[in-house]
Amino acid sequence: MFVDFFYLLKKVGIPVSPTSFLRLQKALNMGLVNSVDDFYTAARSILVKSERYFDLYDQVFAHRFQGVELKEPEAIEISEVARALLEEWLKNPRELADLLGIKEEDLSKLTPEELLQYFLDRLKEQTEAHHGGKKWIGTGGTSPVGHSGYHPGGMRVGGVSRNKSAVKMAMERRYRDYSQEGPLTESQMGEALKRLRNMVPHGPKDRVNIDETIYETMKNAGEIEIVFDQSLRDRLKVILAIDNGGWSMDPYIGLVQTLFNYARAQFKELKTFFFHNTIYDYLWEDPQRRSKPFPLDELPRLDPETRFIIIGDASMAPYELLSTDGSIYVGERSGKPSYMRLEFIAKTFPHSVWINPVPPVEWAYTRTILHIQEIFPMFELTLDGLEKAVGHIMRKN
Amino acid sequence: MSKEIQNRKFKGGSKYVLDEELAKIVNISIALEMPLLLKGEPGTGKTMLAHAIAEALQMRLIVLNVKSSMKLIDALYQYDTLTRLNDSRFGDSKRDVSNIEDYIKMGKIGQSFASDERVVLLIDEIDKADTDFQDDMLDVLDQMEFDIIEIDKTIQAKNRPVIVITSNAKKDLSDPFLGRCNFHHIAFPEPDMMRKIVEVHFTGIDKELLDSAVRTFYRLREIKGIEKKPATRELINWIRALRSDPDFRVKDLVKGEVPFLGILYKKSPDYAVAQNAVGRFRA
Repeated sequence: MFVDFFYLLKKVGIPVSPTSFLRLQKALNMGLVNSVDDFYTAARSILVKSERYFDLYDQVFAHRFQGVELKEPEAIEISEVARALLEEWLKNPRELADLLGIKEEDLSKLTPEELLQYFLDRLKEQTEAHHGGKKWIGTGGTSPVGHSGYHPGGMRVGGVSRNKSAVKMAMERRYRDYSQEGPLTESQMGEALKRLRNMVPHGPKDRVNIDETIYETMKNAGEIEIVFDQSLRDRLKVILAIDNGGWSMDPYIGLVQTLFNYARAQFKELKTFFFHNTIYDYLWEDPQRRSKPFPLDELPRLDPETRFIIIGDASMAPYELLSTDGSIYVGERSGKPSYMRLEFIAKTFPHSVWINPVPPVEWAYTRTILHIQEIFPMFELTLDGLEKAVGHIMRKN
Repeated sequence: MSKEIQNRKFKGGSKYVLDEELAKIVNISIALEMPLLLKGEPGTGKTMLAHAIAEALQMRLIVLNVKSSMKLIDALYQYDTLTRLNDSRFGDSKRDVSNIEDYIKMGKIGQSFASDERVVLLIDEIDKADTDFQDDMLDVLDQMEFDIIEIDKTIQAKNRPVIVITSNAKKDLSDPFLGRCNFHHIAFPEPDMMRKIVEVHFTGIDKELLDSAVRTFYRLREIKGIEKKPATRELINWIRALRSDPDFRVKDLVKGEVPFLGILYKKSPDYAVAQNAVGRFRA
């Protein structure tokens, strides 16, 4: 029973273990699960071990128990759209009945699930027709989507009622924001960055380990035996270089600033620099990039173990990266093209990454991104990408 | 045992507003005898849940506050060598120096095992400890026994405690650890839920105050660029402060005034950002 559900979870990438599946069986055998709702809750708490997978779980659950289409992003989008439209229309059942081409009385006889299914089927027809160039189902009115729309049969859509069926809850995709591909929130970012901590014993053995001393002394039949330890210190130095210039980075500035706020507390030493589009002879310590230049040639004086993290969209006109005086600022033209400067940084700091807020699917279409990718390992600015980037720079070699 | 469980289902505590979904998960975890791992933002009531379970099932609650420097042995038992050394030198206590067992003190996990009745064991903020601690601890909780090396004795749990583990997601927990727990993530409560939570804490609170305070609170949570958003605990304290201030009028909140902002934002950069944003509420 439910074996294919289990395999489906595995297939979409949720790490589910056979042990936990057996445990779910045990719960079923104990009579703890008496409805689909119970099953939804029980299976999730037993099988899924991180809120990051809750959204995927919701999708699989809705697919398995309601036949909602899975994985094709379009289908998911449609059901999202459908739900929103349905909510809208349920305020006016007559209009809905008209649009679906059934009588209002018939409409009231359908269960909410049937109604939604019927509606989805119709929508699918509509999408196909849409490709043919015909008009899509229009939105009925401009009033904002509210909570307590009603169905002639008494259905309640959305809102805060806890009497919703599990399938519908799953379809709401409440956990979308927690999913791995979801947008980054401040606290998630903190979580990912905190993994950059690297506590190592450092310095002389100058701390008395009292517990060990007492223990060893007792073992020594009361003859005092003092044990010394090194103290633990976070030795990690980090340089963050942020592209804060130009409209192409504008949408990400807020995100990046939060990243800063979080980063500050994390490390032994953190230097932040700014640049515009790409790096030439100077990095800037002030966000306005005017008063505090930091010559690139000074970088080798810093600890080569420093982690160098560049955050930028790497999107610019190719000549800015490749030409010998590509900088859009005249004062910065020393004759070395920017890509050589970047290679210089990558060589100076073996632990370096480029974090890009542009989604990876678009990387292949921007020449400068492709080029920079050859110099720095590039990761996307999502929780997943940030984790991978952190994993990359924390590697020992 | 299972009959006893059937009779003792968790339905919520007097100061805790229980989510139906969470109630199911708690009951399943108790029945399956699995530790329940709770994750979620600070202030979503992870710790309070354990208190509520203990209250509802009328069991004693034992709290193990995990610290980053903690070793597993501290949670199990302590061999008080210092007292023994002292006793052996001065010999003025009733303890028998030759009997090591007299110098073994139970840690929190040890206490929960040794207790004659079933207890609720709350392991708070497990993510503070390192991975070894976590894995080793789950071994102990799995086996329901541990050895005291010094006296070569095995302590077995008389009753399997109801175990609740909380995590603030500071670090990821290891896979073997997760594999042995049931998991739930407590989302931040919706405004309606929050109203209920506030009502539980302030019985008979003025409706107008409740509505505007909760509305202002959620508005404040929307402010961007805040490191530590105000959570339930801050809201409760804030309302307490509002109620005790004789000069406070509910209308001020509606107008966009937010008194006692310092109760909601405790970090100075956050406070500055919030104060700035609140200034715009009035406009």
